[in-house]
Amino acid sequence: METTPNALEESLEHQPSSPSDSKMDRITYNDDVVRKFIAASMIFGIVGMLVGVIVALQLAWHPANASAAGPWFSFGRLRPLHTNAVIFAFVGNMMFAGVYHSTQRLVKARLFSDFLSNLHFWGWQAIIVAAAVSLPMGYTQGKEYAELEWPIDIAITLIWVVFAVNFFGTLAKRREKHLYVAIWFYIATIVTVAVLHIVNSLAIPIFAMKSYSVFGGAQDALVQWWYGHNAVAFFLTTPILGIMYYYVPKAAERPVYSYRLSIVHFWSLVFMYIWAGPHHLLNTALPEWAQTLGMVFSVILWPPSWGGMINGLFTIRGNWEKLRVDPVMKFFAAGLTFYGMSTFEGPLLSIRSVSALAHYTDWIVAHVHGGALGWNGLMAFGVFYWLVPRLYGVQLHSKKAADAHFWLATVGIAIYMLSMWGAGIGQGLMLRAAKPDGSLSYATFVETLLAIKPLYFVRFGGGLMYLGGIVLMTWNLIATVRAGKPVVTTVDVPALVEEKNEVPWTQLLFAKPTLIVFTVIALAILTGATNFIAGSFFLVVAAMVAVLGGLVLSKQDDDGKPTWHRLLEGRGLLFTVLTTIAILIGGVAEIVPSLVAAPTEAGIAVKVDPYRPLELEGRDIYLREGCYNCHSQMIRPFRYEEQRYGAISTLADSRYDHPFQWGSKRTGPDIAREGGKYPNLWHYNHLVDPRAVTAGSNMPAYKFLATSSVDLEKTRFKMRGLSKVGVPYTQADIDGSVENSREQGKAIAEDLKANGVAVAADSEMVALVAYLQRLGKLRVDVAPGPKAAALDPSLTH
Amino acid sequence: MTTKQSATARGPVTHEVDGIIEEDNELPKWWVTALMLCIGFGIAYYMAYSMYGIFDTPSVAFEKESAIARAKEAERLKAEGPVDKAALLLLSKDSATVADGAQVFTTTCAVCHAANGGGGIGPNLTDDAWMHGGSPDAIYKTINEGVTGKGMPAWGPQLGSKRVKAAAAYVITLRGTKVAGGKEAQGAPFEGD
Repeated sequence: METTPNALEESLEHQPSSPSDSKMDRITYNDDVVRKFIAASMIFGIVGMLVGVIVALQLAWHPANASAAGPWFSFGRLRPLHTNAVIFAFVGNMMFAGVYHSTQRLVKARLFSDFLSNLHFWGWQAIIVAAAVSLPMGYTQGKEYAELEWPIDIAITLIWVVFAVNFFGTLAKRREKHLYVAIWFYIATIVTVAVLHIVNSLAIPIFAMKSYSVFGGAQDALVQWWYGHNAVAFFLTTPILGIMYYYVPKAAERPVYSYRLSIVHFWSLVFMYIWAGPHHLLNTALPEWAQTLGMVFSVILWPPSWGGMINGLFTIRGNWEKLRVDPVMKFFAAGLTFYGMSTFEGPLLSIRSVSALAHYTDWIVAHVHGGALGWNGLMAFGVFYWLVPRLYGVQLHSKKAADAHFWLATVGIAIYMLSMWGAGIGQGLMLRAAKPDGSLSYATFVETLLAIKPLYFVRFGGGLMYLGGIVLMTWNLIATVRAGKPVVTTVDVPALVEEKNEVPWTQLLFAKPTLIVFTVIALAILTGATNFIAGSFFLVVAAMVAVLGGLVLSKQDDDGKPTWHRLLEGRGLLFTVLTTIAILIGGVAEIVPSLVAAPTEAGIAVKVDPYRPLELEGRDIYLREGCYNCHSQMIRPFRYEEQRYGAISTLADSRYDHPFQWGSKRTGPDIAREGGKYPNLWHYNHLVDPRAVTAGSNMPAYKFLATSSVDLEKTRFKMRGLSKVGVPYTQADIDGSVENSREQGKAIAEDLKANGVAVAADSEMVALVAYLQRLGKLRVDVAPGPKAAALDPSLTH
Repeated sequence: MTTKQSATARGPVTHEVDGIIEEDNELPKWWVTALMLCIGFGIAYYMAYSMYGIFDTPSVAFEKESAIARAKEAERLKAEGPVDKAALLLLSKDSATVADGAQVFTTTCAVCHAANGGGGIGPNLTDDAWMHGGSPDAIYKTINEGVTGKGMPAWGPQLGSKRVKAAAAYVITLRGTKVAGGKEAQGAPFEGD
């Protein structure tokens, strides 16, 4: 029987069936690994948020980059550490704790293997430590939330497989036939994250800690944001929804509101989420049909997302009075509310015209922190405050401190989001503001930065409060743990009796619901894939099948037999297969077309020359320093962007960029057409001391580049690797790389020398300048067409 | 506990697992309506943009926007009169314009040409040597269109003709003032307007 001293817990764990009915199994849950994951989550939560506070300070006050001490603490290197730590270490460890704790109880089985549980735990922590060391050292693949280099990527894959085997192994020996909704979300998480991580991390290794993405340009953009968006969906959303479905009814002591809502919102969420990735690329050079699909599915995603919030909040609804006295309930109710807010804001931001204003600004930063701090953070804290006392058989050390944490966290988020909304919308409006004569009101980018800088200090304050909250929680929970000792939970459960006359899986797979849904999806895809005449026909048929199918399915409700979905819940493997199909459809439909035929602009004959060897080395320095965290290379089709940055970006401009560097945030200006804009000396001065050239700039200084040198002998390996993924380097190019680099470096160094600056021709500084001076100049128009990337002639009167 | 929870249930109870009871309440009507409206909007939007081309896609919209802006700009430039040597020289004698130009110079030009025009990253503007011509119209052209490859950005698109003219007027007043500590002469000697 349950050994937890908490009376409530005991009664909830009580098995309704009488032990005399059937054979009983005695099982002891593995909660040791749960305790470890919680501890790790708290430690790395503090680390990740501390780094967050540091990078927030760096944006407001550039000396915090400690540039004089070396390159390790600059914003470009620390920001990926912050995002990785919060997503994969804080939320990741919390997710594993919640999944392992709740799954054992929901399926009435001890975790499949203690060895795998421990391997999962220690392996994941080793990966986090590897990230914490390698990211400040500058090892990065240059793709957001997927920065870790290939050996670490392989380790992630292996540990994820360990997680999957341990999880599905537990399901395989379950004593609860039917899988509860939380388990559905866990299944979707495990399968989808594996698919996303493997595909997006495909890379050609060059050295032990250096690789290039196999995808380039627009293809890489599409794959990266299919990954990036669905990392949010399947790492930060679905597992937390699953956790919500277990801990919210437990803590609220109320029934889950609606089973049928669970079914509808689970399937619609996992199917639709995967399509929404291109909303990160609206108004870019990405083919417009993909942009449209990304926007449309993001808008449709709003109700399925809210389904989870409704089920959570309506579950709490019957017990509002508990909200006043129980800090756990406060965290859950606020977390769900933030989830609802973020999942409304997301579709709003996905509307093309809203994205035009918000993209690349701090509005997006506000949005993601609403999700991370508000949804993930508050849910994690709620789970910890509920779970830790139970895992150690004591009451929470201080309820008052937990209440104080709640207010610190919520007020901190409010300050954070309000300041970043202001900064984002304000800067977005300033960047597009025009004078009566059509010229830009704020001709230099830095004017807009200076205007919002006070808000960066305010944001730092909000982040500091939130960090204070998690520190307070950690103290509170350590005190709680010290007062108790680890509880070993043992329960007696009836053994699972093999059902006779079970409905065969074929009958479930080829049942009306699947056939109708797959027919509708197939017709919808045909609609998009054919011309508008055939497409219209398919669309009408799809609508008819959907309506008729809906009628047929709703008629089946009242015959008393278990529903199709109830039967499916008893079939773990089939459930997993159907989930996998649901998440694959969107990805395949959006990504495969661009892999089969690289997207090009119609009607233009263009030749794209790849980077020269020294420029390639400069580009790797650009990646290493994380410049893409603040500079985009994508001029969108708006007149104010053309005026400010130059001719709008085309697919050809980044065709050979492995990885693409379109960026997602402009803390500094876009530099897609930086080449030739300023003299070499400008770049040298700017990199040595950005403030000397742009007063008020918050960019870190890169003085050390002048004294560190590039190993020109190594460039050939990089070129050979890139030639294997489609960059047209010839053998002669590769053989002559050293010579070519020396020649180009010498020219730049001599130009700088003529202007009074002595710097070595093989220095990293010269390589980076070579790269910057090439930006926007890779494309050579053979026969300019209607959409040629020439600057609108009227812009220069 | 189980019975108590069932008693407070607001809808039909379906299953119970680990003490968690699932009710089977109807989907909220407003939620179903919202879902249907979103799906309807999505289909309509996709059809309008990607199937029937009823609305302009962003690139088409951009071309139209550019065409309108171009026409407006041409009209405005016509109204402003020609930007030639005489007009610019006249502006350089207008103290209000020169003051505006000094303002523009401080925020956008001083970085490379120094606050006093003595040069730094860019050439000295106070001597008699000019890399891209020292006549008023040449100065205007250099500021407006830039010199690609020589590191002089085109400021016309950002600043607009009014501010470019003011900046040119101010630079005209700098010519030959030979400020102390200026950069050594670059380019061809300038013979006079």
